[in-house]
Amino acid sequence: MKKTVIIGRPNAGKTLFMINFAQYLGINKIYLTQEFPDGKILNKEMSIESARKSLSSNQEFKTQCVQKIEIKIPVYKGRKHLKLIDTSGFDDGIHPSLNVRNGIIQTLEKIDEADIILHIIDISLLLNRNIISQIDRQIINFGMIRRGYILLPNKIDLDSDKQGLKILKDEYPNRYMIPISAKYSYGFDEVKSFVIRCI
Amino acid sequence: MNNDILALYKYGKVSLNQTFDQLFNAKEKRKVLKNKDDDYEGMQAILLELQNLVGLTNVKKLIKEIIAFVEIQEKRKEKNLLAEPIVLHMIFKGNPGTGKTTVARLIGKLFKEMGVLEKGHLIEIERADIVGEYIGHTALKVREQVKKALDGILFIDEAYSLARGGDKDFGKEAIDALVKSMEDYKDNLILILAGYEYEMKNFLQTNPGLKSRFPIHVDFKDYDTDELIEIAKLMAKKRQYELTKGALVRLKNILTNYNDCYNSGNARLVRNIIEKSIRKQALRLQKKKDISKEDLLYLYTADIEGNDKY
Repeated sequence: MKKTVIIGRPNAGKTLFMINFAQYLGINKIYLTQEFPDGKILNKEMSIESARKSLSSNQEFKTQCVQKIEIKIPVYKGRKHLKLIDTSGFDDGIHPSLNVRNGIIQTLEKIDEADIILHIIDISLLLNRNIISQIDRQIINFGMIRRGYILLPNKIDLDSDKQGLKILKDEYPNRYMIPISAKYSYGFDEVKSFVIRCI
Repeated sequence: MNNDILALYKYGKVSLNQTFDQLFNAKEKRKVLKNKDDDYEGMQAILLELQNLVGLTNVKKLIKEIIAFVEIQEKRKEKNLLAEPIVLHMIFKGNPGTGKTTVARLIGKLFKEMGVLEKGHLIEIERADIVGEYIGHTALKVREQVKKALDGILFIDEAYSLARGGDKDFGKEAIDALVKSMEDYKDNLILILAGYEYEMKNFLQTNPGLKSRFPIHVDFKDYDTDELIEIAKLMAKKRQYELTKGALVRLKNILTNYNDCYNSGNARLVRNIIEKSIRKQALRLQKKKDISKEDLLYLYTADIEGNDKY
C-alpha cells in the first residue's frame, strides 16, 4: 500500500483535489477515515457530492485533521492499492491556534512516512501578490531531493493568461510540475500517470 | 522523526519554517536517493538466469519480445496513446524434460519484477486437481485452484489429459470452467497449458475456441546432443563435480545411441545419468583408501553408464 500525501498551504485546494481525484480514479462512493490529533478516529461514508459540500470550503483551515481514502488502481494485470491522504494546510510562522498547530504536526509526521508527495500551490495567489510563500519554497527545495515528489500548481482556471504559471516556472525552471485545476479536473490524467509510475 | 522540534512547535516556540527545515531539509540531504534501480537489478538477475539456460533460443526471443511489448505499451500509455491490452495466456508444447516448467517459473518471477503480475507465483496443477468426481464438483475445484493462482500463473501440466476421457468425462467441464475464469480474471491471471506436442495438437483441435484464446504458443524443441552435453557439464558443476574428457566422450556416445523418440533430447535423462554416475563414483571411492580432493571432484569414464540399468 503506497501512501500519497497531499500537502500545501491552507485554501490551496487539497481536499477538493483529493475528492475529485478519487472520483477521477473511478471511485463513486467515498469511505473516509479521519484521524484527529488527539487520537480519535472517525470513519465516514458519503457520496462524492456531499463530500465536496461538507469537507471542502473556501475558508482557510477547513481541514484540521488527517483524512484518508483508499483507492485501487488497475495496473497491468493487477490492482495497486493507493492511500490518498489529505492534510491540514501549512502556514508560515507560528499559527496562534493550538488545534491548527496539532494538525500541522500530524501532517509533518505523514510526510515522513509518505511514498508520494503531491504539493499543491495556489497559483491565483501568485498572480495577486507575486510571491511564493516561504513554506512553499521550503517544500519545493525538499522535493528536489525527495523521491516521489511532484509540484501541482492549482487553480489554473483562474490563471487564464498563464501569468502565474510563468512566474512559478521562472523561479523554478528545472522543477517538473503538472498544472491542474482541482475544481474542474484539469491535468488529472498526467497526475494519474505520475502516481502509477511511482507505485 | 525528531519529536523535540515537534513539541517546540506545538507549544508555539518555533516557527513552522524552522521546524520544516530541521525535520526534512537537514536530514534528507544525507539520505541516499533510493531509486527504481532495485527493480531493475532484480530483472537483470532473472534475465541472466534465462540466458544461462542452454538452448531454447525461440523461448529467449519470445521473452525479449514480451518485455519490449510491455515496456512500449507503458510508454504509449504515458503519452496518452491507445495501448493494447496485455493478454499473456500461453501454450507450451514440447517433449518431457525440455524445460517447460523451468521457463514457466522464470516467467512468473520476471512478470513480478516488471509489475505485470502482483505476486508472480506459479501454481502447478494436473488433471486430478481440477477434475471432480461427481457432477458440479469440477467447477468448484477449478474455482478453488484459480483462486489460489490469482495474481500469478496457473500452470496446467499434461493439459491434453483434460479432453481424453470421452463424452461422459468431467474433463470437458473443467475446460469450460477454465475458459470462463480466463475471461473473468483476465486482469490478474496468466494461464499456461503445457503438454507433449502431438497430444496438445489433438487437444486444441477438439476445442476450436481454445486455441484462439491463447495468443502465445511456444514450441520447446528437443535438445541436440551438443546442448545435452552442455547441460550435463552445468549440472555437474552445480553439484561441484567435473567430468573428465573421457567421461564426456562416453556420455556423448550414450546420448547419440539413445533412441527413444520421447526421451532422447531430454534434460531429465541427462540429470538421471549424472546422478547415477555420482552414485557410481561414490561406490568406487568407498573401496579406496586415501581419497584426494581430485578423486572426489572428477567423474571418470567408468562412472558414466546409461540410464536406469541395474
